[in-house]
Amino acid sequence: MADYVRADEVAIAPEIPEPLPATVSSDRGESLLRRHIDEFLKSPGAVAGLTVLIALALIAVFAPAIAPQNPYDLSKLDIMDNVLKPGERLGSGITAFLGTDDQGRDMLSAIIYGLRISLAVGAISVVIACAIGASVGVLAAYAGGRVESVVMRIVDLQLSFPAILVALVLLAVFGRGVDKVVIALVIVQWAYYARTVRGSALVEKRREYIEAARCLALPKSRVVFRHLLPNCLPPLIVVATVQVAHAIALESTLSFLGVGVPVTEPSLGMLIAHGYNYLLSGKYWISTFPGVALVIAIVAINLVGDRLRDVLNPRLAR
Amino acid sequence: MKRLCLIGLAGLLPLAFSAPASAQELKIGLASEPTSMDPHFHNLGPNNAMRRHIFEGLVAQDAEQKVQPELAASWRALDDTTWEFKLRPGVKFSNGIEFSAKDVIYTICRVPTVENSPSSFTFAVRNFTSVEAPDPQTVVIKTGTPLPLVPNNLATIGILSAQANGGENVKYRAGGCEGLGTPPKSADFNDPAKAIGTGPYKLANYTRGTSIILERNESYRGRAPHWAKVTFRPMSSQGARVAGLLAGDVDFIENPPIQDFERIKNAGFQIAEGLSNRIIYIHLDQFQDPNWKTPGVKGTDKNPFLDKRVREAVSKAINRQAIVDRIMGGHAKAAGELLPYPLFGATKDFPIEKYDPEAAKKLLAEAGYPNGFEVTLGSPNDRYINDEKIAQAVAQMLTRVGIKTNVDAMTASTFFTRRNKFEFSMYLAGWGADSGEMSNSMNSLVVTLQPDKGLGPTNRGRYSNKRVDELVVKAMATVDDAARERLLQEASKLAMSDYGIIPLHFEVTPWAFKKGLSYRPRVDQYTLATEITQVGS
Repeated sequence: MADYVRADEVAIAPEIPEPLPATVSSDRGESLLRRHIDEFLKSPGAVAGLTVLIALALIAVFAPAIAPQNPYDLSKLDIMDNVLKPGERLGSGITAFLGTDDQGRDMLSAIIYGLRISLAVGAISVVIACAIGASVGVLAAYAGGRVESVVMRIVDLQLSFPAILVALVLLAVFGRGVDKVVIALVIVQWAYYARTVRGSALVEKRREYIEAARCLALPKSRVVFRHLLPNCLPPLIVVATVQVAHAIALESTLSFLGVGVPVTEPSLGMLIAHGYNYLLSGKYWISTFPGVALVIAIVAINLVGDRLRDVLNPRLAR
Repeated sequence: MKRLCLIGLAGLLPLAFSAPASAQELKIGLASEPTSMDPHFHNLGPNNAMRRHIFEGLVAQDAEQKVQPELAASWRALDDTTWEFKLRPGVKFSNGIEFSAKDVIYTICRVPTVENSPSSFTFAVRNFTSVEAPDPQTVVIKTGTPLPLVPNNLATIGILSAQANGGENVKYRAGGCEGLGTPPKSADFNDPAKAIGTGPYKLANYTRGTSIILERNESYRGRAPHWAKVTFRPMSSQGARVAGLLAGDVDFIENPPIQDFERIKNAGFQIAEGLSNRIIYIHLDQFQDPNWKTPGVKGTDKNPFLDKRVREAVSKAINRQAIVDRIMGGHAKAAGELLPYPLFGATKDFPIEKYDPEAAKKLLAEAGYPNGFEVTLGSPNDRYINDEKIAQAVAQMLTRVGIKTNVDAMTASTFFTRRNKFEFSMYLAGWGADSGEMSNSMNSLVVTLQPDKGLGPTNRGRYSNKRVDELVVKAMATVDDAARERLLQEASKLAMSDYGIIPLHFEVTPWAFKKGLSYRPRVDQYTLATEITQVGS
C-alpha cells in the first residue's frame, strides 16, 4: 500500500484495492518527494527565496511581539511624532529606525503589520480562489460536453477583463475592508486555477487508473476528488505560488489607489501611497521602505515559484 | 559639440534679455480650470476669478472680501427694500460701446435664463420686485423683503453689454423680463468676439483643457494692466504644477503642496500665503428623532451627540494647534468660530477651544460614557488641503480619550452624496463663505435644516437651536450693518458655546511664483492676474 492511499479508503473497499493513481503509484513513491526536494534545494536562489519567505512569514505571524509599536492602535499614535527621520526618537521613547509617517506611525512597525496584512490577504485569497477554481476546473473537465463549454466560456470571459479593473469596480461597490479585498481577489483569481486544472485534468482523465476507478463503479465525486484532482496538483501548486505574489501586488495596487484596506490599518501599498506625496520633498523613507519590503516579499515568492515549476514540470525534467 | 552648444546658447542670451515684450507676458498654472467662460454659468471659485478679468461687476470684493466700487461709483440703501447704484460715467465695453444702466438691467434679466447651471447665480437677483433706470447713470433696485446682502450678492455678477447681445429694449419684470431678445448660450462666450465686458482684459483664445489667453482691453476705463498678455494653463496635478514652475514653463502657480514649500524656496522661487475664508469643521449628528439610529455609532443605544457634554468632550479632545503644526506644516490657523477675523461678523480674538484630554474624559464619564463609544468619522480625501490626514489625526485624538474612531475617507463626490443622505454620524468637511461674511456660514452650517425655506442647507449634522435660528434670520433681514454684525456675533457665540458644530482651522491659501513677482493673498482664494505685480521694475 502506497503512502498516498489513506487507511479509510482501504476500509471502505477492503476486498478490491483501488487502482493507485499513476504518478504516485510508483514503487519509489517515497523517493519521488525526496527527489523533488533534492531538486529544489539544488538552486541556491530558490533556497534563499524560501528562507526569506519563511522569515517574513514568521515576522508576520509574530508581529505583535516583534513590532515596537502597534500602528493600528490609534491611541498609541501621536501626531506630534509625524514625519520623523530614520533613527529619531518618538515621544514614547521608542526609536524609529525607519522613521515615521505622516500620522506618527513608526515605519518599522507599520511595515511589519502591513506585511502581515499583505501576506495574509495574498495567502487566504489564493487558498480560497484555488479551492473554488480547482473544483470548478476539474468538474468541468470530468463532466465534459455542454457543462464544460459553459464553464470554460465563463472563465474566458472573466480572464478577458484586466484583474485590476474588475477588482476596482468590485471594491467601489463593496467599500473598504480586509475581508472585502479578499473577496475581490478571489473573484478575479479563481479563473486562472479553473483553466490550469482543467487542462491537466483533460489529460489525466484518459489515463488507465481513472478508467479503472470508473469500472469499479466508484462514486463520481470520489473519482474526481480522490483520483483526478490529486494528479492535477503539480501545475496547480506552481500557479498558486506565483499567484500569491500576484495577489499581494494586486492588493498593494488597490490600496495605493485608495480602495481596499481602511486608512487606519494600512497595508504596504497604502503606506507607499501615503509616502508618495513626500517623495519629491526629500522625505524618502515613508514610501521607500514599504516599497523595499514589498519587493523583497514578491521576489522571494517568485523565486520559490519558479523553482517549483522547474521541479514539478516533467517536460523540463532531464 | 558641447562647446558648439555653448556658443549657440551664448548667442541666444542677448536675445532673451533684450526682448521687453516677453517681460509683459505672464503664464499662470491653475489648480482647477474654469468650467465655462460664461460669467453666469457656474458659481465656482475658478470661474468667478476668471470672470473678473473680463467682466466687471457693479461692485467687487477686495482681498478681504469687503465690497468696493467697480462699475458703480457709489450706492446706498434708500430704505430697507430700495437700493440705488450710481454708475461710473465714461466706461466703455471692449467693443467700444458705452456702458449704461441698460446693461445692468439686461444682465440682471439674463442671469436666470442660463441653462443647466450646476450652481446658479440666481440667488443674487432673486426677490427683486423692480429694477429701473431713472437716468442712464442710475439703477434703482427694489426688493420684496429687506435684503442687506444685495451689494455683496451683486459683486458675483459680471455685467454684459445689452447691445452686443441684442437686448437694447429690455424691461425688468419680476418672473420674466421683456425685450430680452435671444439671450446668449453659455458656449457662446468661448468665442472671443462674443465675450464682451468692461474688464481690464479681453479673451484672446480659449482652448478647453489647454489654455486661456487674455490680452489687454485697450478701451479699459482705468490704468492699463501691467501684463500685456496672460496665459492661464490648467495643471490639475500638484506635482506637474510644481515641476512646471521650477522648469520655467509657467511663472506663477496656484496651490503648491505644503510639503514642497522648502524645495520651491530652495530653487529660488517665492511663496505667498494668506488666510482664506474656508473653515474646516466637524459636524456631529444631532437629529432629535428618538427613532434615529446614528449610523456608525457602536457601544451605546442612544445618540451620544445629543448630549452637550459629549460634544464638548469631542471639541476638547482635539488638539487644533497640533493639527496646524504637524499636518498643515503651520500653514493654517486654529479656529474658534466659522469665519476668521476681520471678516464681517467675526469677533476679534474669539477664544479657541483649549486642548484638554483629561477634561474630555471627565465630561464623557459624566455624560454616562466612562468607557467611551465607537464612531465612524466620514471625510473626503481629495477636496480640502490634507483632509484625510486631518481626519486620521482627529481619530487618533478622539480614540485617546475613549471615543474609538474609525476613519472612512473617500473621494469627494462619493463623500458628499453619502453625507447628504446622513450616512455619517460624524464627518469632517470645509466651508468657504462666498459672501465673505458670517450670515453665509451660520445659515449654511448651523441654522436648523429647512430646505423649503432655504435655511440650513448644509447643516447635515442637523443641529437645531431656536435662539440661534432667530438671531441669524433676523440678521439676514437687517440692513443696518452695525446691528447686523452684532446679531451675527451673538449667534456665533451662542452656537459655539453650545458646541453645535466643531470648528478646527482656517485654511491658508498658498501661491508660488518666480522671483521678481509679488502677490497679495486673497481671502477668497482667487488668482487675479491684475494683482500680480512685478517688484523692482
